[in-house]
Amino acid sequence: MRIFKSIKWRLQLWYGLILVAVLAGFGFTAYQLERGRQMGRIDDELQRRYGILVNALRRPPPPRGPDENRQPFDRPPPDQFPEGGPQDQNVRPPFEFRLPPQIAGLFDTNNPNDFYFVISSRDGEDIARSANVPQVLTNLAASPLVEMGSMPETRASPDRPPRPRAMGDAEEIYQQLQSGETIRVGCSIAPELKELHRTALKLTGIGGVILLFGLAGGWWLVSRALCPIENISSAAVKISAGDLTQRINLAEAESELGQLATVLNSTFARLESAFAQQKQFASDAAHELRTPVSVILTQTQTALNRERDAESYKQTVEACQRAAQRMRRLIESLLALARFDAGQEVLKRQHFDFTSTIADCIELVKPLAAERGVKILIELEPMEFTGDSERLAQVVTNLLTNAVQYNQPNGDVRVKLESSGGLAVLTMADTGQGIAAADLPRVFERFYRGDQSRTGAGNAGLGLAICKVIVEAHGGMIEVSSRENAGTIFTIRLPAA
Amino acid sequence: MRILVVEDEPDLLASLAQALREEGYAVDTAANGDDGLFNAEGADYDAIVLDVMLPGMDGWEILKRLRKTKKTPVLMLTARDQTRDRVKGLDTGADDYVIKPFDLAEVFARLRAIIRRSANKTTNVIVIGDVKIDTAARNVTLKEKPVDLTAREYSLVEFMALHRGEVVTRTQLYEHLFDENEDSFSNLLDVHVSNVRKKLGAEFIATRRGHGYCIE
Repeated sequence: MRIFKSIKWRLQLWYGLILVAVLAGFGFTAYQLERGRQMGRIDDELQRRYGILVNALRRPPPPRGPDENRQPFDRPPPDQFPEGGPQDQNVRPPFEFRLPPQIAGLFDTNNPNDFYFVISSRDGEDIARSANVPQVLTNLAASPLVEMGSMPETRASPDRPPRPRAMGDAEEIYQQLQSGETIRVGCSIAPELKELHRTALKLTGIGGVILLFGLAGGWWLVSRALCPIENISSAAVKISAGDLTQRINLAEAESELGQLATVLNSTFARLESAFAQQKQFASDAAHELRTPVSVILTQTQTALNRERDAESYKQTVEACQRAAQRMRRLIESLLALARFDAGQEVLKRQHFDFTSTIADCIELVKPLAAERGVKILIELEPMEFTGDSERLAQVVTNLLTNAVQYNQPNGDVRVKLESSGGLAVLTMADTGQGIAAADLPRVFERFYRGDQSRTGAGNAGLGLAICKVIVEAHGGMIEVSSRENAGTIFTIRLPAA
Repeated sequence: MRILVVEDEPDLLASLAQALREEGYAVDTAANGDDGLFNAEGADYDAIVLDVMLPGMDGWEILKRLRKTKKTPVLMLTARDQTRDRVKGLDTGADDYVIKPFDLAEVFARLRAIIRRSANKTTNVIVIGDVKIDTAARNVTLKEKPVDLTAREYSLVEFMALHRGEVVTRTQLYEHLFDENEDSFSNLLDVHVSNVRKKLGAEFIATRRGHGYCIE
């Protein structure tokens, strides 16, 4: 079931179950307390009446007239005994029994729901009983039930009345006295049971209402608590739909969900900037490729427009070649950057003579330097290094070419290699026009070309970006400082590992 | 028709200029922004082909400054095909744009269109009496018969036809028919006018003494 997988529904379900358990426990306790109170009251009354009855049986008759001084359990006068009766101790003469009026007032003999009593002789015959004894109990004394279980086993002392027990719809004390008589005092608890039943219904009803309100409140609370999560997920859905500018609304930044939202927002921000960079990179790359393609298209279309002489065809082919070479350089640069970015470019690390590698690079740049009248001054400390010599040579050549190209005529380039604090430090300083302060922080950005009047067409602005990824792949860093019209210094620091 | 091409890629600039000249336009070139603006402000061009990415001043800046003084139609060449770049170009005052890499035929068609629009014409065909000028096909017919005109003669007819009813001065004609490398002090113009009159009838181009020429 999908519905039970939703946190909202699961929380609500648990909440509901707990609420039901608490309400049920509370209701049951309340019911038991009420029942205990009602029953306790009845039991107290029963015990009191039982005590009075027992006392009345035991008390000697007050000395009064034949009629008035009848004791509660007066035996008939000896002359009324049946023949041989008194001799036979086992045969008890029937009692003529009357309750004293103050005791009789305790038993409303007409009310079936009031207290009743039955006093039986040792033989099980009734000596006295109130008129309201329930029908079911009339023959109880003779019933096997009594014989078997209900008969009290102990003869309790009169001081401590026995505990009442439930007999059907009645609460009763059933006790055999030491004299042999049995006293049964009871009270119908039907009204109390009815009352308790009503209480139970009431409690159930109130519990149900509380449960409903509780569930509604719980639903509200759960919805409220989950609202930020819904915000987060709806923002995430929008973001996955392609709109990276969406952010989660941070209403409660301090809460746990607020922290989650903050984390997600910063992830989204990084994602957005990564996407933007990627887009920019692709757009710049396409842009750089478009110009040489335009050259080829325009050149060939113009050439093919009409018959031409061999010289003009040659010019067209040369222009196309230049465009193709430019595209090749660009593609190689892009590929190198992409490989470094993806971590696919594996440096061919080897131990090599850094000093002579740099010297080789200088040799390579010398013709260009001679052409521009730029002197290259060398100050190289002998040094061995472990790294990708080809890639590092590419960096050195690139920086040297820049230093010569953007130098002033008869300027100079100083190349210095020294070891300092476990680092190989290579500096290249030129006496060129320098880089504007505004451009300086961005010179290592891809496709950044700074002042475009200085850079010829065909320079895509990737050279320094490639230098940077190569140096960083070696665990080193590249820095630039420059003063306009004074010169630029590139510093490369490589850990001599 | 005289056109200025501002483009920093030398091979592209050379072939564009050559192709346009072969189409019969007079073409001036500029390889950077500053020269481009200087030329554009200094002469009356019929259209300017302007690259966006230029060393020095970029295409947007040239356009912005040029629009303060001139309404010359401008066709932008852009390597960026993002909508915001195109919108920016059109909003700055460009009349149209072509995305690199482009086909020459498309550049020519768009150039014709912006020149036509600047002369308030809506079709490629201009009819003057018995003479019909098709500016797309670059041919002229007289009473439905094709007339063989040289490229320069055609340009003269087209320019005059686009400014029909106006008196066109000799200076204007020199400016629009010849580029900066040609000798404008010669009597080449008179030769062209005379040739056109021979082919299309003497009354086709009227002379306004002391002012210039006019097509009624």
